[in-house]
Amino acid sequence: MSQEPGLNAGPNLAPAERLERTVLAAMSRPSLRYLGALGLCGLLVLMLFAIWGVIIWQGMGIAGINHPVSWGVFITNFVFWVGIAHSGTLISAVLYLFRARFRTSFNRAAEAMTLIALSVAGLFPLIHLGRVWIFYYLLPYPSERLIWPNFRSPLVWDVFAVTTYMLVSAAFFYIGLLPDLAILRRRLQGWRSRVYGWLSLGWSGSLDEWRHYNRVYLFLAAFATPLVASVHSIVSWDFAVSIVPGWHTTIFAPYFVAGAILSGSAMVFTLTIPMRRILGLEAYIQVDHFEALAKILLFTSLIVSYSYICETALAWYHGNLFEMEQFRYRSFGDYWFLYWIMILCNSLLPLTLWRKSWRRNLRWLFILSLLVNVGMWLERFVIIVNSLAREYSPYAWGTYQVSLAELGITLGSFGLFFAMFLLFCKLLPVLSMTEIKERL
Amino acid sequence: MMLVTFKRRDLYLLLLLAAGLVLLFEYGKLTPNRGALLLTLVFWSGLAQGCLALAAAAELTRARWIASLRRELLCVHPLLLVLALLFLCLAPRLDLYPWHEKPGPWLNGPFFLVRNLLLLLAVWWTGRRFALSAAARAEPCQRDAVLFLFAFVACQSLLAFDLVMSLAYPWMSSLLGAYFFVEALYAGVALAALLFFVLGGGKQRQAPEVIGAHHRDVARLLFGFSVLWGGLFFAQFLLLWYGNLPEETGFIVARLQSAGLRNLALLVILACFVAPFIGLMARRVKERPALVALVALAVLAGLFGERLFFILPEAPLHLGVTLFQNLVLGMGWLVLVHGQGEVLPEAVGGEG
Repeated sequence: MSQEPGLNAGPNLAPAERLERTVLAAMSRPSLRYLGALGLCGLLVLMLFAIWGVIIWQGMGIAGINHPVSWGVFITNFVFWVGIAHSGTLISAVLYLFRARFRTSFNRAAEAMTLIALSVAGLFPLIHLGRVWIFYYLLPYPSERLIWPNFRSPLVWDVFAVTTYMLVSAAFFYIGLLPDLAILRRRLQGWRSRVYGWLSLGWSGSLDEWRHYNRVYLFLAAFATPLVASVHSIVSWDFAVSIVPGWHTTIFAPYFVAGAILSGSAMVFTLTIPMRRILGLEAYIQVDHFEALAKILLFTSLIVSYSYICETALAWYHGNLFEMEQFRYRSFGDYWFLYWIMILCNSLLPLTLWRKSWRRNLRWLFILSLLVNVGMWLERFVIIVNSLAREYSPYAWGTYQVSLAELGITLGSFGLFFAMFLLFCKLLPVLSMTEIKERL
Repeated sequence: MMLVTFKRRDLYLLLLLAAGLVLLFEYGKLTPNRGALLLTLVFWSGLAQGCLALAAAAELTRARWIASLRRELLCVHPLLLVLALLFLCLAPRLDLYPWHEKPGPWLNGPFFLVRNLLLLLAVWWTGRRFALSAAARAEPCQRDAVLFLFAFVACQSLLAFDLVMSLAYPWMSSLLGAYFFVEALYAGVALAALLFFVLGGGKQRQAPEVIGAHHRDVARLLFGFSVLWGGLFFAQFLLLWYGNLPEETGFIVARLQSAGLRNLALLVILACFVAPFIGLMARRVKERPALVALVALAVLAGLFGERLFFILPEAPLHLGVTLFQNLVLGMGWLVLVHGQGEVLPEAVGGEG
């Protein structure tokens, strides 16, 4: 990555100065490799919108969803991306409340990831609607015919939960950025200084400002923490409130929350391990910090595994024919291969993190994070598709195959996610400079 | 100042005496109602295991507040063995369970007794190992803490599914296991808050400002657990209500039909969620050990009330006998806290 002259961190600089220069270097003129990666992601995004256009033009028939599997990859993607969005708030808010100092290495990237993942997730209910132009039916707008959304539907709860989470996460992200934006205003020149100055809302760093800042940051952290649990609980209730075998189980809410944190933590690894190397942030994102995050990944993997055991064991405990058949079908039915890959990626491979040497091996952590993300995507697929494919009446059983259109949109969503993250790396400081200065 | 000192042998004899008293009241034909021992077992296993689990979790996360209460929480380990022995004495009460008449491959008397006894013994063994090593070392003993936590989660889950849920077979809630071990941790935090008030957080070992900071952390934990409890409670009962399946709602309807249990349910929500959530929101309350202890007492009463709510319709009990049994075990716990030096080794290198 090319750097502007004078931005390289020198050995004789004061730690704070070196930090600012390192972070600014990351925001310097983009290299050809960066532009190439952005271009590739841009192509995927174009593909996403092109296929969506075709779906709008021709109808939902070109997606693989059918009767009885009326929820497929689109809803899988929605749940997956909402899950990815969880780690940002976990790292920023929850770890802030628990005074875990390693959070400062990841919090900015994780918060950005939250907002980006939520934006990507928000596309999927719209795509799945088919007739996207009537999406506003989900909102309680003042209709002259007094038509209100069905507030008993968890799909409407989703709208409120995800929107609230998005707003609070955005406020948390922006308020955390303010002191750093003021640094950018000071260090950059020309129009960039004016833009960052405008964005920093006149931050001067006075004692009064810091006092208010710390108070509002703490308040937002406390407010965001229950949101981490509530959003994915509500997403889980999209499934669990129905009486479909394999869905209607009370453990779904904590199980989904743990799964979301697992996938979110894995995505933080996926993003920050290459970012640390490419941008030369080794001094600030240390192996110790990755190790601490690896413990969170291991812990959430254990909760997810506990949930797998509980829901399967209780299906047999209860002796309900349909529940038993559902869990047999998951393990040995049409999609058995995906189920066992899911178990391998989410439950077995993270067990390697019991060993300290594996927790500190960044190459392994990166590979594991990719595998966990595959596993978590498959988990949502397994839950959604298997239950719909094998409901109560054998006459209504069916199978589902992912169509090329669904595959293209899924790839496009990854393109959108990575494109937005690449833009974030160039436009905003990837590390929270003011917080890291406190620990220097 | 210690008024009475106990030798280790005296402590174990006192615990055995407590167990004997519990059994005397259970099987002494004082009352035809027979659910008291079950309730006492379920409540105290959560309480005692919760204390140790809290200490283990604090060691693993390197929480600083544990320095003020480490020994007081760890010294509970002999009680785990007493509970395992009391569980064995539950064998004549298995006819309380509806599956007793028609046993299945999982729910049958011998297997039920063996698996739960083994888990209770595993919890005692791993808990003792963890307590002895954690009390002796200045550095946290992570391996023992992890082993104990595994046994704790497995044991609390199985107690929830076997001892409580199967009372209302075929009613089922897959969250109940997780709900129970979270409640056990919640009870551990509440007991820690009580200990802070009663013992002053180890005044002889720590500076007052350090004790104050540690106490605030425990109060914050109590507040946090109240939110977690509220979330899990809501997640569990929302699905039962929304699904509206007779086999699921029957459990709740059977309880809410009686005015007494309906009021008890409200009191449980008030004590376990509303009181700590509203009471501990203000910073000033969190700084006053007496007020936090009051909230902690409410939480413990709420958790006891909830166990009563779960068990009462299927296993009627005599309130006097139940309270006596719990009082005896409570005295046993206090004796252990008082004589902690006999059941725990001296710390090497000082308190962390």
